[in-house]
Amino acid sequence: MSAPGTAMDSLSAALKCNIIPNQEYLLQGSVLDQYVEVLLHRLRGLCDNVDSGPESFHDHELCFTLRAGSGSGAPIVLPLRVRRALDVADAPFQLRYVGQQELGDKNRPTVVRSSIDMACSSTIVEFLTELGCRLDFEYIARGYMFRKGRMKITVSKIFKVAGNKPVETVEPISQSYLVELSVLAPSGQDAIGEDMRIFAEQLRPLVQLEKIDYKRLGSMM
Amino acid sequence: MVQIYARKKALAGAANVLLAGAEKLKTSQNEAVRNRTTLDFHIELLRLRQNWRLKKVSNTIIGDLSYRTAGSKYLQTGTFEVTKAEDDEKASSPPSSPLPSGPTPAKQNSALRVSIPSELQGVAYIEVLCQKDHEDLCSVNINLLGSGPPPPPTQTCIGSKKLEAAQNVLFCKELFNQLAKEAVQLQAPIPHMVVGNQIMATVLPGIQLIIGLCHSTTADKKQQHPSPSKSEHDHVLEHSLHQLLREVHHKNTHHPFPHPATGPLGPSKKRMFAGPMAADRYELLEMTKTDTLLEQIVKQAQHFIMRMRTEYVLDTIAKEVKDPLISSHWNTLNSPTQSCVKINISTHGYDAVCRTPLVIHVGEKSLKCICRDGKVMNMSYEPQELRDLIFCHINQHQILAVQALAKTMGWQALGNSNHLGDDSTGTVEPLGNASSCLMSSPTGDRIIAVRCEPHTGIQVSVAHSPRTDFFPSRLVTERKWEHLGGQFRDVRLDKMEGRNFLHKMELLMASLTSNS
Repeated sequence: MSAPGTAMDSLSAALKCNIIPNQEYLLQGSVLDQYVEVLLHRLRGLCDNVDSGPESFHDHELCFTLRAGSGSGAPIVLPLRVRRALDVADAPFQLRYVGQQELGDKNRPTVVRSSIDMACSSTIVEFLTELGCRLDFEYIARGYMFRKGRMKITVSKIFKVAGNKPVETVEPISQSYLVELSVLAPSGQDAIGEDMRIFAEQLRPLVQLEKIDYKRLGSMM
Repeated sequence: MVQIYARKKALAGAANVLLAGAEKLKTSQNEAVRNRTTLDFHIELLRLRQNWRLKKVSNTIIGDLSYRTAGSKYLQTGTFEVTKAEDDEKASSPPSSPLPSGPTPAKQNSALRVSIPSELQGVAYIEVLCQKDHEDLCSVNINLLGSGPPPPPTQTCIGSKKLEAAQNVLFCKELFNQLAKEAVQLQAPIPHMVVGNQIMATVLPGIQLIIGLCHSTTADKKQQHPSPSKSEHDHVLEHSLHQLLREVHHKNTHHPFPHPATGPLGPSKKRMFAGPMAADRYELLEMTKTDTLLEQIVKQAQHFIMRMRTEYVLDTIAKEVKDPLISSHWNTLNSPTQSCVKINISTHGYDAVCRTPLVIHVGEKSLKCICRDGKVMNMSYEPQELRDLIFCHINQHQILAVQALAKTMGWQALGNSNHLGDDSTGTVEPLGNASSCLMSSPTGDRIIAVRCEPHTGIQVSVAHSPRTDFFPSRLVTERKWEHLGGQFRDVRLDKMEGRNFLHKMELLMASLTSNS
């Protein structure tokens, strides 16, 4: 059939032209609860669209892993994240694959990792369970998001979800807010990292956005 | 004791220092009050900076009055330069051409001089006219821009006013540029014409919408509209055009945020659904299509004309037809492309007996009428169609009202017909169909027949049930055949007493009801 053929052709053409955003540039930091208002004011002034005010979000994220034992070697673990919006009822779910941090030169200002996002219907959870994924953990994130050009800044509080408790009685896991500055871009656009670093400079000393080395975090636990 | 003296001396020394400083400040302030200019430049610059974007580039202060930060993608720059008023002899060429120092208004005593690029000087506005070929349709009596007395110029006002005017000129240029581009690209059934500073678009057959860019570079504010035969332009449509362009700007900057938060920035809500809802190529293409500015303003103009026509038709009918009263109620809330009017046909004094409601939705090029029985009639832009429809409904109302009245009077409706065609009951009407009904009295001894026609009006006839003129003949011998009913005799309604048709019918029925 020619129709799927042309779809595949256009997809591979898009991949070749490098227009699909499949990399995420990321900087993270945190700010204590008592200073988050100041940070929000500052972000409101620095970011686009001052008149419309900060956009709030309330999301629930589930993290699945798909384990495939490859015989003698180490089992391959594929982490997948499903995120749904709790405040907007009909928004599609987002399925996300986030890869490992790219080991590049140490001078790169941001974390670069491959990330693939897609929108899907609400049946994704059943689908993944049928595939064999197991739910690793889940959490609720609630906060505000801003944008400046291509950059997205989110200030959110993470809440623990106990399986059978209703949504309102969740408890926060810490007394601080997680601040993330991210850009989704096709691979090879490293100049955006510099822009992100300059923007992060403007938020100091309220919050220090920097690249986190996840391997060391893992070993610290 | 010594300590007290020492302290006293120290305090005196400190006091002297403070007093000397205060003296100095006082003298410097007095001097500043005397020569105002230097101080005022900075204060005025500060005030200007509160409203306009300024920045210092090497030795000059450059500003930007374009809508670029608000989302405009127009290529013409809006940079202006701010200089001190004393150094106006300097003709050192900055990037934006300075004002010629000739027409310096004498009343200016501001410390700032604002230099605007030459193509943005003066005052501009977009003129919108609805013309019927070569006559004028709408005349709006609102003061033209700038024809009122100008407010007294204060010191900080002058630079700001010039900048506002220049910004308006830039906005009007962008708007006209966009409309002209669309007029050339769009393919309408009757092509749009762009001639110089005017765009002519056909709204309805015979009616044109003319959009012109009026840019007057003279400072003469008393200049009236050049041709007195043209009516003043439509401010509502001009405002709509401004709003439409501002909406375009707004969409360029305010992209929707993704929910959940990890989604990509940029795609609209519909696009986000395209994946999970399996949108095909056709749907995706449809998502990208939007109405252009010109199409939108043409639609608004079409609706405006339709509304005016409908109002005219309804008002004319209400003035002409007095027997059933036609009252129309227009909805307060409507959109630029759709309005709604509710029409009530009722007879004076008999509102509770029978009322015919109609709802008419006025669209851009068509009317949709919802009749009392739920039927939907779609009409085109010809006003005659609406007129015919209303007259048909008036007829139907009369017949229904008579039947309802008969019920209250105790009379029985024997039958009715809404469509009497071309048979022995009469000739075919040029407009609509005649309708009729038959009623009999409570005792059955009288029959009334009513026939209602759109053009010739109403005819009423009465018959006696046992014939008064029955004589047994050789064919019809028995007495019982006298009950078949007699001849119908016409009633002269115009000679009858009664305010309106229903009143006359009520009196007629009352007089024909016998007591036995």
